[in-house]
Amino acid sequence: MEYFGTTVADIFNTMPKRFIPEEAKDVDIVIGYEATGPGGGKWKAIMKHGTLKVETVEGELTGCNTTIQADAETFVGVTLGKITAIDALTNQKLRVVGDVKLLMTLLPKVFVPYSITPAKKEVTARDILSTVKDRFRRDKAQGVTLSFGYDLAGEGGGQWSIIIKDGKCTVKEGLEDNLTVKMTMDAGTYVGMMTGTLDTVAAFTSGKVKIDGDMMAAGATAKYFNKYVDPNAQEAEELLSVKVITSVGMRFATGPVMGKWFKGMKEKKFLANVCPSCKRTQIPPREVCAFCHIRAGEYVELGPEGTVTNYDIVYYASPDPLTGVVRNTPYAGVFVMLDGATEQEALSFELKTEDIPKLKKGARVRPVWSDKPKGHFSDILYFEIIN
Amino acid sequence: MKKHKKNRNVAIIGIGQTSLSSHKEDQNQAEMIYEAVRSALADAKMTLNDIDCIVHGNMELFEMQFQPDMWHAIGSGAFGKDEYRITTGGTTGATLVCAADSLVASGMYETVLAIGFEKLQEANTTGGITNMSDPLWFRNLQTGALTGTTATDMIDEFGEERAKRASMKYRIMMDKHAMLNPRAHRRLGLEYDQMEDLMKNSPQLVGELRLIHMCSQSDGACAMIFTSEDSVKKKGTAKPPVWIRDHETSHREETMSNLFGFKRPKMTHRDCAEKLFKRNGVKDPVEYFDVFEMYDPSSWWAMDWLREFLLLKDDEHLKLLEAGEFDLDGKCPINPSGGVIASNPIGATAMLRPAEAAMQIRGDAGAHQIKKEVRHALASGFGGTLWTVMIMLEKELNW
Repeated sequence: MEYFGTTVADIFNTMPKRFIPEEAKDVDIVIGYEATGPGGGKWKAIMKHGTLKVETVEGELTGCNTTIQADAETFVGVTLGKITAIDALTNQKLRVVGDVKLLMTLLPKVFVPYSITPAKKEVTARDILSTVKDRFRRDKAQGVTLSFGYDLAGEGGGQWSIIIKDGKCTVKEGLEDNLTVKMTMDAGTYVGMMTGTLDTVAAFTSGKVKIDGDMMAAGATAKYFNKYVDPNAQEAEELLSVKVITSVGMRFATGPVMGKWFKGMKEKKFLANVCPSCKRTQIPPREVCAFCHIRAGEYVELGPEGTVTNYDIVYYASPDPLTGVVRNTPYAGVFVMLDGATEQEALSFELKTEDIPKLKKGARVRPVWSDKPKGHFSDILYFEIIN
Repeated sequence: MKKHKKNRNVAIIGIGQTSLSSHKEDQNQAEMIYEAVRSALADAKMTLNDIDCIVHGNMELFEMQFQPDMWHAIGSGAFGKDEYRITTGGTTGATLVCAADSLVASGMYETVLAIGFEKLQEANTTGGITNMSDPLWFRNLQTGALTGTTATDMIDEFGEERAKRASMKYRIMMDKHAMLNPRAHRRLGLEYDQMEDLMKNSPQLVGELRLIHMCSQSDGACAMIFTSEDSVKKKGTAKPPVWIRDHETSHREETMSNLFGFKRPKMTHRDCAEKLFKRNGVKDPVEYFDVFEMYDPSSWWAMDWLREFLLLKDDEHLKLLEAGEFDLDGKCPINPSGGVIASNPIGATAMLRPAEAAMQIRGDAGAHQIKKEVRHALASGFGGTLWTVMIMLEKELNW
């Protein structure tokens, strides 16, 4: 059963060829694939230390770290990029049991993308001659009476006559009597000239084409017809997009107020500045209290311990904005009310990954600092839950 | 000082949009804009000669294209015309409408064309959004527009079952609306009986924010034409004019990290709605508005925000949803177009809201047209770390 011009089986048959062992050196995983419905089947890809084994599976898929399921059509469509993976995941036509981010991280790394090479059909002289009537330009042929004969030798050869008369064009097999001009050549030469791989003038001058009759008429044939376009050559005209990766180094001034905060980091302290009017403790510190429109001056130390008010446990593997590298998931960000902070002023930071199972609103947390703080947010490694 | 007093009234007289999809490889940016501009001009039965000024916008950080308005002149028709470029992130489209309204209302220009677009296929949206975040603090934690905090809060407030069902019901309702809108990007054909399955099995993005709840990334453009009341009366219009009654914008401090203290600050949506409704004497928005095209990036945010936008309290928003009052035949239908969850070409997204709302007032929205007469419409835009734009549209000059 074919979808989008190929089969599910072909995707798996070509898997070993598309595998990039160097990228899979540290990989030890079994991925199960289940394509349901007509043309479907079950497969297992076993990757271990740079090797890959692909097996078909009868019965239940067992022993897989992650299983990918879809109907056969969706399976092929997503593999070829004809169906957007995120759409298929959204409407549940594509399901992943286990680690979803494999689709975005591991698989694109260890496999060359699957693609179908359309079986290239060789163009024959007959193919080209069958399009002559469609390519005929009546506007150029008013009052013209001409007949061309083609005597084509070799494979795919034969004899044809093209007759232009009364603004009409007919093509007949065989050579007519009283031809204006007869051209004798190898069928391959004819195809080459018509598809543009062979220079016409060179073919005439080098004697590859033998002309009997009106030389001028032979040279004028192109005038009465639109150019032949090889349908197989469409690939060259596909819609292209240009891929660009932009990576630029940035440098941001902290200013004296934010600078004070980072100076505090160096000493493993959270320094908030206080609005003289509403008394709120701004973290990170800002020049002016946006509520009172008044300059905040005095700095106070908060925390270091605090209480979790809300959190995000992230499963979606997005790129780390600092490095562009896809993050490991899950990771968690927590909103923390540092001890001593006023009621609207939370601080957000990353939680120690191992503490995710214990995470809940109201959890007490403390920062874990790096050994050598240098005045940067990376001075805090993460917050951890206090047991 | 009397704020928000218009010098003269302004009408929307032309609307055009492209189809909204995940790929538009057959068009470059300028070509896509051209399609929307052409369709807006055709809608208004106008030519570029009738346009005095163009307002152009998208979120430049996404496509990383410097001076897109210059590059796009071939598609926007801005040659020899005055032009402004506006980029306010997620709210861009709504801000474009506010700017065009102000440019005409001031008397500076008679007729203004506004264009909002985005080609997210060509860009890195999450990268763009994270890069807009404070580079000194919090950027390391940014995950684009993905957050599970609202889900956590709603589950805490209303219980897991009711909160999850509300969010899913809203999501499926949006898909049912999108199925009626041939231009919508994601049309999944969801049914209400899939609720349980999707609630449990849709892949988790952040906490209880699952893939099914989140909006798409789309390519598309929207164009709208605005003119003065004088012009409408002198020259007439091809389609019924839709009047911009008023608009309001609310911001908050730029950092998101202090949103979740022991006490929550008032949300910009509520702040914006209170100001807008007070100024225009809207006592009960659910009763007053016949449609609300809301910028709804996820179905959790949508449910939470409806309470803010419509100035509801406690679980009134859930009750309205559960009673079907937000459906196409409900008291206050939400997003007949399918909303942002279905289609999200960011720079066009917040313009599509007033564009779709205006089409509802004209009565020519197509299959997703609300059956009963639409006289008063509300549209909202959202962006950044809580930035709200609200626009009020009217069928008649009734204020």
